[in-house]
Amino acid sequence: MSDTKVQLSRATDPEPGVRAAPGVPVRRWSSRAHTLEEIERELGRLWAAPPGAVPAGEDAERHVAARTSVLNLVVIARRPEIGQRAAAAISELTGRHPSRTMILLPRDPDGPNSLDATIEAYCVVPSDQGAETCAELIHLLAGGEAGRHLEALVAPLLIHDLPVTMWWPSEPIFGSSQAQRLIGMSDRLVVDSSSWGGSGMGPLGDLARIASRVTVCDLAAIRQARWREAIASTFDLPDFLPYLRSIRRVAVTYSTHDEDGDPEGTNVVKPIYHVAWLASRLGMHVERGLHPAPRSRHPAARPAARPAARPAARISGSGPRPGPGGFDATLRDHRSGEVSVVLRPVLFGTPSGTTLRVELLAERRGHELRVDVTAEAEYVHVGVWLNGIEMAQRHFSAPRLTEVDLLAETLESSGPDPVSSSALAMARHLVDGPPETTHRDHEPGGHA
Amino acid sequence: MPDPFIFVLFGATGDLSHRKVVPALYQLWRSNLLPHECMFVAIGRRPYDDESFRAEMLTAVSQYSRVKPVDPTIWTEFAKRIVYFHLDFDDPAGFDQLAERLTVIDSEIGGHGNELFYLATQESAFPVIVQQLGRAGLDHEHHAGGWRRIVVEKPFGRDLESAIRLNREVGKVFRESQIYRIDHYLGKETVRNILVFRFGNGIFEPIWNRRYVDHVQITMAESIGVEDRGAFYEETGASRDVLQNHLLQLLTLVAMEPPATFEAEALRDEKVKVLRAVTPMTPSEVRRDVVRGQYGAGWIGDRGIVGYRQEPNVDSESETETFVAAKFEVDDWRWAGVPFYLRTGKRLAKRATEIAIQFKPVPHRLFVDSKTDPEPNLLAMRIQPDEGILLRFVAKVPGLGVDIRAVNMDFTYGSAFNVDSPDAYETLILDALLGDSSLFTRADEVEQAWSIVTPILEAWVEEAEPDFPNHPAGTWGPEEADALIEHDGRRWRRI
Repeated sequence: MSDTKVQLSRATDPEPGVRAAPGVPVRRWSSRAHTLEEIERELGRLWAAPPGAVPAGEDAERHVAARTSVLNLVVIARRPEIGQRAAAAISELTGRHPSRTMILLPRDPDGPNSLDATIEAYCVVPSDQGAETCAELIHLLAGGEAGRHLEALVAPLLIHDLPVTMWWPSEPIFGSSQAQRLIGMSDRLVVDSSSWGGSGMGPLGDLARIASRVTVCDLAAIRQARWREAIASTFDLPDFLPYLRSIRRVAVTYSTHDEDGDPEGTNVVKPIYHVAWLASRLGMHVERGLHPAPRSRHPAARPAARPAARPAARISGSGPRPGPGGFDATLRDHRSGEVSVVLRPVLFGTPSGTTLRVELLAERRGHELRVDVTAEAEYVHVGVWLNGIEMAQRHFSAPRLTEVDLLAETLESSGPDPVSSSALAMARHLVDGPPETTHRDHEPGGHA
Repeated sequence: MPDPFIFVLFGATGDLSHRKVVPALYQLWRSNLLPHECMFVAIGRRPYDDESFRAEMLTAVSQYSRVKPVDPTIWTEFAKRIVYFHLDFDDPAGFDQLAERLTVIDSEIGGHGNELFYLATQESAFPVIVQQLGRAGLDHEHHAGGWRRIVVEKPFGRDLESAIRLNREVGKVFRESQIYRIDHYLGKETVRNILVFRFGNGIFEPIWNRRYVDHVQITMAESIGVEDRGAFYEETGASRDVLQNHLLQLLTLVAMEPPATFEAEALRDEKVKVLRAVTPMTPSEVRRDVVRGQYGAGWIGDRGIVGYRQEPNVDSESETETFVAAKFEVDDWRWAGVPFYLRTGKRLAKRATEIAIQFKPVPHRLFVDSKTDPEPNLLAMRIQPDEGILLRFVAKVPGLGVDIRAVNMDFTYGSAFNVDSPDAYETLILDALLGDSSLFTRADEVEQAWSIVTPILEAWVEEAEPDFPNHPAGTWGPEEADALIEHDGRRWRRI
């Protein structure tokens, strides 16, 4: 190493002479750099190097490392632990979605300008007979002013002609100029709105507005796929299908830890997505956006929530109890007319904002159909009652997806998903009010 | 290998000689591409002797040579052939002494009177040097079989009128066949490969026309600023520095018809035809189809960048454009209706030069179940960095159903040919010594290029003062440049 600023080492996680197991990513290279030029030089060295990373005793020809990248993946990690979590998830994806990954971590914004980069190559042998392929992972710690201009670091390091996916595991400040610049250079933005602070409703509206310029993938919405599949398959049954166009009420029960009923006290993105998906699929429109529930629905002034088909027994702990707050909205279906929406909090130990139950009520020709959906780690349960008589109890094996699964699914999809896009657009109308409403008169926290 | 020759370098103490010309000559020598019977006469106005000049050149070659470190044995042999000749360009007696000295050297090396005069000076010195060379009789190819050639560096003129005037001045002394106007971009390996790619492969030429091509984008982006050339750049700007020569040359190579032979005149005839097919713009067309910009303060990588107006030797209220984007039409049978979008700038987000041929979309959407429509094919020729060629097509995503996605087939020179490409100056200097003018621009070519750019410059003079700076350093130019192409329903490629 001619440059003393860069300490290059070959991090060979597998023991020399020991062949890595097929499908298991191993770190073959690691080097450090402190300027953009050094990073570019290190990337060049990394791939210009002879196959010296081959553990001794192995067939060198077989192990000529080839760079493979199908995309640029940029991760905006505001905290070190987020960066570590992202790196762990991405290394798991090396074989499935090789990418040039940059994990950006701004630090000490008021300190001196600095850049500390670690350049790594993770390699995978896809099968016992396959050639090893590698992808790059660049950790960028940018201090001082450089940390406020992350886009200037990203642009020169993007691999040309490959799409750019920006994964923002924490909450983006959509209004900031830096966020706009970073998102502006992306083809796809990956977020998890269920991790955002407050109710999540404000930034959810911002996210929906961004979706007109960039493909948005919200892990919170993807995570709900098993709920959607269970609900949709229930209405595949001929006896129930006609009721799909006669829904009068959608109620989503979610957990909260907020005893005060503060409208900003619990992230309600997941409950909103349930409603938004249904409304968008059934061609409904928002007549009245989400409002904090009236005081009359405060637990002290209303009966306890209707027991579900599989109530607290399936929810461990002391069991849910009605919480204060919640939201109401009104949809309109051109056939069934008005559809009331209720987002109902219950005080419970699961992570705040977790969906506990989705209930649909449909009325048709004097008959009432009630669909009740709950979920656990491995299963989704659907109960159906017609005029109070149990008609079906279905259990779907649908494991909860890990973050790696969710990310992989996101990266696998090649373009905008029309279902997610329309659900996000509907979520915006739920949050902001119907499209014709020009001013945001339904801001979270207002009209309590 | 060239015949024995004397290489006479005017402006030998200047930046271009240090960075490019002398390192290229050393590299040619090192590669055994030059005869032992050669000499290099370095001409400058500063007081050097042979030894001190050689020492300075060793420093320059050590810093700028393509292959490092410099081999002392090879350098010693090379340096023995360098002599320094002090000369004021407006001193007729000095040129007479130069002529005498060249005669002596020619007899010493047993040459045939072959002399190449390389003008690596300011453009303003070209006329007087040429005039003095003629007065001293150094233009005559009077020896049996001997040749005399002159290599002129760009910029060749600063508008159509000055280019015509300069051509006339040089033409009074040297015949066109003796004049080698250098645009170093044409010597780049990947630029030369454009012709090989187009005419050495049978499958691309049939689709290389308006029927299949939607549009063409040519980008030359620099991340560096004007460095220590502020005074020069103030007089030049992006249009004169790059658009008139490099970008239009790339356009001609993309758009030209196949030449009948691979000889200089046949090639240059076809290039000139392309330039003639680009109709000069009216002032209103300039307003519509050309965008100029100037960078302000910004960030590139991990560094804060000062604005152009804060650069050394730049007017604090400068109106010089550091960015230009333009839409041209090549109005001929092959390209009618196909826009060519060209852009160049300094202090852009990254250094990259490429030509992108964007093909038209498929006429019928067959894969209706796919989440995405097929992306139109793209062919990108990267000139620098990562020299290579990329072809984008759609493929089925593995799995059940038929989902399609664009994928890249990427060829890179570095991985296909595990050898260093010669520097453009090595290629061009060797060509000039061998008498191959294919990669040099002809007088009518230069003038035709100016006839395209001059109306733009004139229209700007008539316009209101530009609102400079209009984009931060580290971005891809002003928003108007995006609007220029988005108005046509297209987007600049992200490079």
